[in-house]
Order: sequence, then structure tokens, then C-alpha cells
Amino acid sequence: MAEPWVLIIVLCIVTFLSRLMGVEMMAGRVLNPTLRLYFNFIPIAIMVALIVDQIFTTNHGSSSISLPILGGSIVAALMIKVTRSFLLTVVIGILVGLGIRYWLHI
Amino acid sequence: MLTKQQTVRTALLEALPLALAIAAYGLSYGVLATQAHWSLWSTILMSLLVFSGSVQLVIVAMFISGAALPSMLITVVLLNLRNLLYGAALADNLAPASRKYRWLLAFGVSDESFVLGNIRYQKYGADPLYFGVVAGTFYSAWVVASYIGAYLGDLIDPVRWGLDLAFPITFVALLIPALTHKPIIATAITALGMASLLHHMMPNSEFNLILTGIIAPLVGLYIARRSHHG
Repeated sequence: MAEPWVLIIVLCIVTFLSRLMGVEMMAGRVLNPTLRLYFNFIPIAIMVALIVDQIFTTNHGSSSISLPILGGSIVAALMIKVTRSFLLTVVIGILVGLGIRYWLHI
Repeated sequence: MLTKQQTVRTALLEALPLALAIAAYGLSYGVLATQAHWSLWSTILMSLLVFSGSVQLVIVAMFISGAALPSMLITVVLLNLRNLLYGAALADNLAPASRKYRWLLAFGVSDESFVLGNIRYQKYGADPLYFGVVAGTFYSAWVVASYIGAYLGDLIDPVRWGLDLAFPITFVALLIPALTHKPIIATAITALGMASLLHHMMPNSEFNLILTGIIAPLVGLYIARRSHHG
């Protein structure tokens, strides 16, 4: 796929429809609190799954842990707790990951 | 009674701090999209047409890992479910606007605009103008930051500068501050265990993401219910 035009158009439609349906059709309805919680938890689970996916690298069917990504992620988790600065955390996390990468010569 | 000018000024003032945070995510999105080898145009087009941080970041990550269109679609539908909630809560707030304008405002529904719009509604009642200015500010910040990110990402050698590391680290930085309550933490821990296990059993399967996204929140729900009743 050279350019993701189709993907972008499809995502545009799906995302806009979800917003429009909310505003136009759900008006005045009180949503089940359990469903509300469930919907709010979904992005958390997906984000975690994506992080895990990046930490494990797959080579010819066997998976191994990427130490630069694992190290960078752990430092980033601590940094965001301490500094609460998003950009600073991302920069430091990447630097730590790069450091590990050069140190291990990979 | 507040004048229009006052409303616009308040909306801009209250939107600004969040707009900066959105710009930071937009910057990351732009840089990461260059990792997927998307052109500057595709990267910006997506921000212009989709305008959703979670959808765009997740899709770019899936695109890089070679996911197929159907699994990307299922994931996006899952991510978008919460827009139904936001819309339901915002509907009364936007009701006074004409239908055309309301459809335009619906495009601006996001995590951040929902929060501000809802606070405003509870204080002053329906105020579509306020919501419009807030959403417009966020939209501008998102698009401009995506452009800058894509431009920067294009200029430098990604691996040398560690931009391939930016993905998981960006997600960690977004995730950790969200882990505020026990049920959310339980969801995250379950997702961690489940995704690791699934990866071990079926490496490279796109269904891992979808399965984790559907099942892990159930554990969060269980914990929420238990602490509610206990």
C-alpha cells in the first residue's frame, strides 16, 4: 500500500459516524453505567496490548524481548509519574532506549 | 447573561492548556506517521479528516506492524464506542444549534472537548458556541502539530534518533497518568498478562489486540462492581 488514502477515508467515516450517532441518536438517553465503564476501559486495554506488542519482537516465529524498548518504557513510566511532563518523558525515554541500544551494540 | 465575545474569550482561555497537551500528542503522531513511511500529505489528511488522537496513534502502530484492514476497523470501532457516551452526554448541550452546525460540532467530539463542554454545561447550561470554539482550538492545535511532527520526522534518520522507540514510550507516557482507579489498573494489568500470553501463543496475530481490548475491560468491570458493593 503506497498511500493509505482508502484507510484514511474509511476511518474518517467510521469515526465521524460514532460521534454523530452519539450526538443525534443517544440524546437524552441515560446509558447503563456498566456499559459506560466498559467503554472507558477499552482504550486502556488496547494501549497496553500495543505496548506489549512493541516490547516483544518476533523473528522467524520465535519471540524475544527488546531490551531498549523495555528499558525506555520503564524509565518513561517513572518519569511521567515524577515530572508529569509528556514531552520531557518521551525525550528521556527515547534517550534511555538509545543508550541501551548502543551499549548492547544492536 | 454572557455576551458572545465573553463566551469566545472564556472558551479560548480554558481550551489553551489542553490545546498544548493535544499539540504534544499531535507532534508525536506526526513523527510516528513518518515511521509508517506515510507522506506528509497522508499524515496531515488523516489529522484533518479523522481528528482523533487515540484512533490515529493506534492505527499508525497497527499499520507499521502490518495489520490488515479488517482488524484495524474492528479496533477503531472499539475505540470509538466511547464517542457514543460523549455524544449522549453532550447532546443537550449542543441541542440549540441548527442541524448543520450540530453536525459540524459533532465532528469536534473528543475526550478533551467532552470534558470542557460538560463542565460548561453543568455551570451555564447549553452553549454550542463555547463548544465550537473549544473544538476548533483543539482541531487547529492537532492539525498544525501533526504537520510539524511529520516535517521533523522526515528530516532526520529515524533509527539513529531512536524514533522507532518513540511508539511504545509515547503510549507509556499516555497510559500511566490514566491509571488512577483500581478498576482501570486492574484492566491494565489484565491486558498486560493477556497480551503477553497471547503473544507467546500466537505471535504476530492481529486478533491479540482485539481480544485483549474486549476481554481485559471485563476484569476492570468486575473489580469496579466488587468495590462498589463492598
